[in-house]
Amino acid sequence: MPLIGKPRKVRFPNAQKPTPTSTLASTKKTMSTATDSNQPRPGIPALFTQPPPIRDPLITETIDLQNATLEKCLPFLKGIHSTQKDFNKHGVPALQRDIHTGFLYDALEDYPEGFVAMDASRPWIVYWALAGLAMLGEETTRFRERVITTLRPMQNPTGGFGGGHGQTSHLAGSYAAILSLAMVGGEEAFGLVDRNAMWQWISRLKQRDGGFRVCEGGEEDVRGAYCAMTLISLLDLPLTLAPGSQAREAGLESLTSGLPEYLSRCQTFEGGISGSPGSEAHGAYAFCALACLSIVGPPEEIFNRHMDIPLLVSWLSARQSAPEGGLSGRTNKLVDGCYSHWVGGCWPLLESSLEGKPDNTEPPANSLFSREGLTRYILGCCQGVDGGLRDKPGKYVDSYHTCYVMAGLSATQNHHYRTDSSVSSGNFSSSFSWKTSPSRDPGNVFSRGDRLEPMHPLYVIPHKAAEKMRLWSETQPLTV
Amino acid sequence: MEGTYSTDPEWASVTPIDLDDGSSSGAMPLATIAYPADYLEATSYLRAVMAANEMSERALNLTKDVISMNPAHYTVWIYRAKILFALDKDLNEELSWLNDVSLKYLKNYQIWHHRQVLLSSKAHFPTFPPKEADFLMEMFAQDSKNYHVWTYRHWLVRHFGLWDQPRELEDVEFLLKADVRNNSAWNHRYMLRFGPRDTSLPDAGMVNAGDLSTAPAEKGRLSVVDEDMVDGELKFAQEAILRAPENRSPWWYARGVLRAAGRGLGEWEEFVGGFVSEGAVKSSHAVEWLADVFSETERESEAVRMLTMLKEEFDPIRKNYWDYRIRKLDQGVVDLGKGIETLAV
Repeated sequence: MPLIGKPRKVRFPNAQKPTPTSTLASTKKTMSTATDSNQPRPGIPALFTQPPPIRDPLITETIDLQNATLEKCLPFLKGIHSTQKDFNKHGVPALQRDIHTGFLYDALEDYPEGFVAMDASRPWIVYWALAGLAMLGEETTRFRERVITTLRPMQNPTGGFGGGHGQTSHLAGSYAAILSLAMVGGEEAFGLVDRNAMWQWISRLKQRDGGFRVCEGGEEDVRGAYCAMTLISLLDLPLTLAPGSQAREAGLESLTSGLPEYLSRCQTFEGGISGSPGSEAHGAYAFCALACLSIVGPPEEIFNRHMDIPLLVSWLSARQSAPEGGLSGRTNKLVDGCYSHWVGGCWPLLESSLEGKPDNTEPPANSLFSREGLTRYILGCCQGVDGGLRDKPGKYVDSYHTCYVMAGLSATQNHHYRTDSSVSSGNFSSSFSWKTSPSRDPGNVFSRGDRLEPMHPLYVIPHKAAEKMRLWSETQPLTV
Repeated sequence: MEGTYSTDPEWASVTPIDLDDGSSSGAMPLATIAYPADYLEATSYLRAVMAANEMSERALNLTKDVISMNPAHYTVWIYRAKILFALDKDLNEELSWLNDVSLKYLKNYQIWHHRQVLLSSKAHFPTFPPKEADFLMEMFAQDSKNYHVWTYRHWLVRHFGLWDQPRELEDVEFLLKADVRNNSAWNHRYMLRFGPRDTSLPDAGMVNAGDLSTAPAEKGRLSVVDEDMVDGELKFAQEAILRAPENRSPWWYARGVLRAAGRGLGEWEEFVGGFVSEGAVKSSHAVEWLADVFSETERESEAVRMLTMLKEEFDPIRKNYWDYRIRKLDQGVVDLGKGIETLAV
């Protein structure tokens, strides 16, 4: 997982009861007695209720895990699990907005001592909850004062935010902090950030190969590059490398020098993108790399220059499989709700790049993936019975999955496209030229009440939040 | 409450820095954690010694204490590495402690960067310490696809120049024998065989990548090809495919091999055809392979027939993608691997 502190084992205090998922035994039992109760609900195509057409007889650990996942998902895909409710005519259960909203409000409050492992991820907890609430249409500006209070002690005078008070500044923590400030908005929130120190600090993280370390003394990876470019573009930081930074002494001039080339070197023979050159292609890093490239330049130009697109599209498309319909992060790994965003979020960027022209305000005529499959997986398999969303049936809900599963759902419900008009006239104008329109595809299988607010496809916060932070920053130019 | 540190004479000279989680400001901070008292105390001393950049035995012990309570605290790992070098500690001792911590916290990844920082010291590790490979296999016995362990292993290969060390390939083959679907092992194999070896250039997943004079479609293409090695790798992939034809990994490995060698997919047409006989398709990847062979050789209608089989029968969840491929054929873009290049500026 590319972002810091993925809380795999996190349980929220108010939702400690695991969702009942021991469906394997009960399914079998039902089959032998009453076949009818194992039948899928009407409106669900066989594609989503039956095992894949070709299955190799050779059993290995990979297949054992896939089979176990399939067994756990099937009752949810068929719409016959006892915890599901409010089905539409497509056999898809409704998004339980109220309990998810409640879960996220709770997620912003106090945690018991068992959560000490999250001590370096508090900016993330704030970001995941606020982003989730924003998608659910909640007003996030009401948290302005509390967000500022929370983040202030995490900022270091040498630039950037750590995961907590007294912790080394980290690009991931700073990313979560800045996005949270953008979502609460306002002069006081924007003004909290020491942008000059941030610029100096990011300059120190820049590496001679074009990438970024995540913190001083830390690792260099694609996530660092994406977080850095998010900060630089939202805060309108100067592109020139600060004097004294190692990269500048090595001959680089700009924070973006060598960056697309670095990302190009992260593409693997499979077509996907790895966390660092030479590692395995991975969905979360693919999003970080493509979003980072899309900040540096317009996708239709920069993708074609640096990525083997047919190979990339092929790998990305292979992340979706039936009957689950959800997305996996790597070849021969399991479906996980969070890739609804990491992998699903790559599609608007690629579709935009394949569309070619930024002046095309029509939504793309064709999706390259199955929006239906992803919608079915998210609404059918990922909703926790007490609120919050999850990786897959049998896993606990947590804020991380709640945020990114919903981000994936939001992306499937909306079309993202670029226009010729940008709110920003400076660097990165293409980053601020994205628009959205709700998908009216007759093939949609969600109901009107399931609609989530669209998010900016690069920054994963509401468009307005990103634009306001950018415009405010432009009015406060840094002199270097 | 009397704490371990506040009552210890060794720490009497240090004034701890209390946690500011925002609570003192009057407004209610978000996402607060009810830290255990011993964690609060240890981290308050940590902030103090870090602020003074103290390089000492007691600080080193303190980092171990904090790690035992919260191994996800990235700051403490970075500080610990600094102290180890400043005090010229025995790094082998550190590694053996780290082995235990790694096996205890399998999902933690700060550990792996820490390990890389230690091993990158040429002064301490001028050559590859062979016990590393044994330990990594212990890790893979717990989770054979652990991303951070594989990333570290790839770094080791490049740092110590282990591409042709028999142990690397042996371990890959051992893991593939246990689970031929372990894609991480296939990826490692590709990097051993076809990854760039010139350490004067930055590392890359494919040779030539990031070189602006090379089109993206040419990434991975070797300038000098050892055809015997390539044939051996293709045979290895074929044997894996025969064990489990619907396994994506060896199919895409083979594509990577042919791409590296600058050879087309056509040479496998007969082998692949064996998986696509009428009425008994054994592999969707074989159907896709044939579609590509047909489109490379201008047999569009046959290519469309293959893509339609995938769309309708063998991989219908990806209908939109197969339709896109069919549209590309209709537009006369024969070679999908190259057609897009014309768009590049």
